[in-house]
Amino acid sequence: MIRKKTCIAMLLAGGQGSRLGILTKKVAKPAVPYGGKYRIIDFPLSNCTNSGIDTVGVLTQYQPLELNAYIGSGAPWDLDISNGGVFVLPPYQTGKSGEWYRGTANAIYQNMAFIEQYHPDYVLILSGDHIYKMDYNAMLDYHIRHGADATIAVREVPWEEAPRFGIMNTDSEGTIIEFEEKPKNPKSNKASMGVYIFTWEKLRHYLTQDEEDKKSSNDFGKNIIPNMLNDKQVLVAYDFNGYWKDVGTIESLWEANMDLIDNPMPMDMHDKKWRIYSKNPGMPPHYIAEGAVVTDTLITEGCEVYGKVNHSILFAGVVVEEGADVEYSVIMPGSVIKRGAIVRRSIVAENATVGAGSVIGENEGNIAVIGQGVVLPAGVSVSAGQQVDETTTF
Amino acid sequence: MKDVMGIIYTGENDARLRELTIIRAIAALPVAGRFRVIDFLVSSMVNGGMKNIGVIMQKNYHSLMDHLGSGKEWDLHGKNNGLHILPPFLTRENVGQYPGVLDALRSNTDYLNHSKQELVVLSNSNIIYNANFKEMIAYYESTGADVTLMYTKDPSMKRDEFGTYIAVDESGTVTDIEVEPTHPTYDNTFMQVLLMKREFLKALVDRAVAHGLHDLSKDLLLRLVQEKQAKVNAYEYTGVCWNIDSVQSYFKFNMDILQPEIRKRLFVDDLPVFTKVRDEMPAFYSNDSKTVNSLVADGCVIEGTVENSILFRGVKIAPNARINNCIIMQDGQVQEGAFIENCILDKQTVIKRNTRLIGPEAYPIVIAKNVVI
Repeated sequence: MIRKKTCIAMLLAGGQGSRLGILTKKVAKPAVPYGGKYRIIDFPLSNCTNSGIDTVGVLTQYQPLELNAYIGSGAPWDLDISNGGVFVLPPYQTGKSGEWYRGTANAIYQNMAFIEQYHPDYVLILSGDHIYKMDYNAMLDYHIRHGADATIAVREVPWEEAPRFGIMNTDSEGTIIEFEEKPKNPKSNKASMGVYIFTWEKLRHYLTQDEEDKKSSNDFGKNIIPNMLNDKQVLVAYDFNGYWKDVGTIESLWEANMDLIDNPMPMDMHDKKWRIYSKNPGMPPHYIAEGAVVTDTLITEGCEVYGKVNHSILFAGVVVEEGADVEYSVIMPGSVIKRGAIVRRSIVAENATVGAGSVIGENEGNIAVIGQGVVLPAGVSVSAGQQVDETTTF
Repeated sequence: MKDVMGIIYTGENDARLRELTIIRAIAALPVAGRFRVIDFLVSSMVNGGMKNIGVIMQKNYHSLMDHLGSGKEWDLHGKNNGLHILPPFLTRENVGQYPGVLDALRSNTDYLNHSKQELVVLSNSNIIYNANFKEMIAYYESTGADVTLMYTKDPSMKRDEFGTYIAVDESGTVTDIEVEPTHPTYDNTFMQVLLMKREFLKALVDRAVAHGLHDLSKDLLLRLVQEKQAKVNAYEYTGVCWNIDSVQSYFKFNMDILQPEIRKRLFVDDLPVFTKVRDEMPAFYSNDSKTVNSLVADGCVIEGTVENSILFRGVKIAPNARINNCIIMQDGQVQEGAFIENCILDKQTVIKRNTRLIGPEAYPIVIAKNVVI
């Protein structure tokens, strides 16, 4: 028998993340590596565990294999428990129909039976697109204290950027009076973070209603939230002031990685009370050789550095050979930078090889990207902003 | 594939490890930046297909138990098999500590009886190695021996007054055994690893204890070989190994694995070594830091100079601090302007500002856990 849960989380992990280009050609966005030893999904999953939320449904759709394998039993996040845990929820067929997830709201609608098993009072909706540390339990307390039907986490963005976001206009009490998707003339700078807590009974009602509306795009921001506002439901904004970064584009993913090198770090990753968990590859500590020069850099287990690395992030098992020079770059797990290669302002995806003497990226301009598993021959040049996959010829 | 179980004995003499083993067994000694000695054994066994592993505990076993936990990190948290912690317990015939491995096995006869595996690997815990047990098991099977011993020809393992040495003839049969000789006659060092049938081990233990024998090599194996009571042969381990039984040998092991070729022979790709995970962020090197020839674990923050050293997880080296030839365990701190050389710092030690601490290379200084200097 499944016991009742006060609050369970549903993590939307099905998006393609097409703006990440070749980085998401073979993997879903939440499985994209970040910060030397993490993947994006480690942040919402660790936040759940640290917030005491022990039941998480992960809704997958696009390129799910690597993500599924990564989540596994949920052990790295202590989510391998018998009463709850982490569940991967792909779309499935039922008696009458079977279809892909059509939108964020439809994805949750299709998994209502999963949610109902736990008879939750509240449901937390998350996405796998952001890097942040947040106490969802404090947000839940806020939701309960305000007797809200829905609570939306918001953060203040610079006014000039507000037109890019879903903006919440609130009264002095924090109650949301209006929601505007990408307003030209914003009345507020409180942007939705895509983190919602709903009273489940209400959400169930609105999901069902939304499903009946054939014209709806079945989206939380476009449909569910506006519908609830129209019906004068109680929607409140929950202010979040910590570090938060959308990693939806190559540039922002690169920037978010570089943020971790800033001294002091904008987000405290050494906090023992709020660790970010990840799956461990079981490698020895990294090695900095005689003659290597390492400055302003994050390096994790299994790396071997013989060359020069400045202001960069090296993931597990990366090798930087003698005479290679890496600067302002992100080198993902298992990649090798061969002798004499120069890498500038680049992202090198998993298990790629940069051939000896190659020159990747430039000191200015857009970020160059080498795709997963690409083996670059010696002596090639990749210019700023160029994306290289197996089909690229030199 | 043969069903094999493993038993690890952790009660070795640790007097020559000084402060390092006051609070822990040798098996629980932190090594190589993020591991404990026992990680290499348990991982080898798991990689060799063993799913039922018993660890015989002696004194000071709190830190070892804490480290092994449920065995989850090694996938040893199954229902029928998994990790079995076997601490000493009081019975009518057994009081407190085990005099030797045979007595420990006798006390745990129930565990041996209840296990279902046909074969058993028995290993001490003071030798670091990463063996391919599948190969050893295949050798045992093909030769039809009663007992197969693992040995090495590594010259660094051959030391006066310590260790057990074996004579092996062309067929691989063990013809003689010498225990702790003043000058070893043979080049083959017995690695204190044995493979035999579980039923055979049970019978041996029973007979040994009934005859008042306590030491496995000196008392039991010697008799088996000399009196030809059983067919004892030997399997040569050709990988790298170290005997961790003194501060010097502990220091040497850690410094040895700074060499990439040696490290590659210990950390073999298809025989990964697992350990308890701490979820620290990657190590950070500041703009003014300088690091050469060192192994550094996650969670370290390096702002000073680090040379020829091993830093465990969460170590902090402040600006203008310098360390050379040191081993600094978990959460150690070296503050601004301090200089330390040839030192082993146990967990959570703090070296205060401008302190100088220089040990002789042949006899490194050991600073005990939680000490502030």
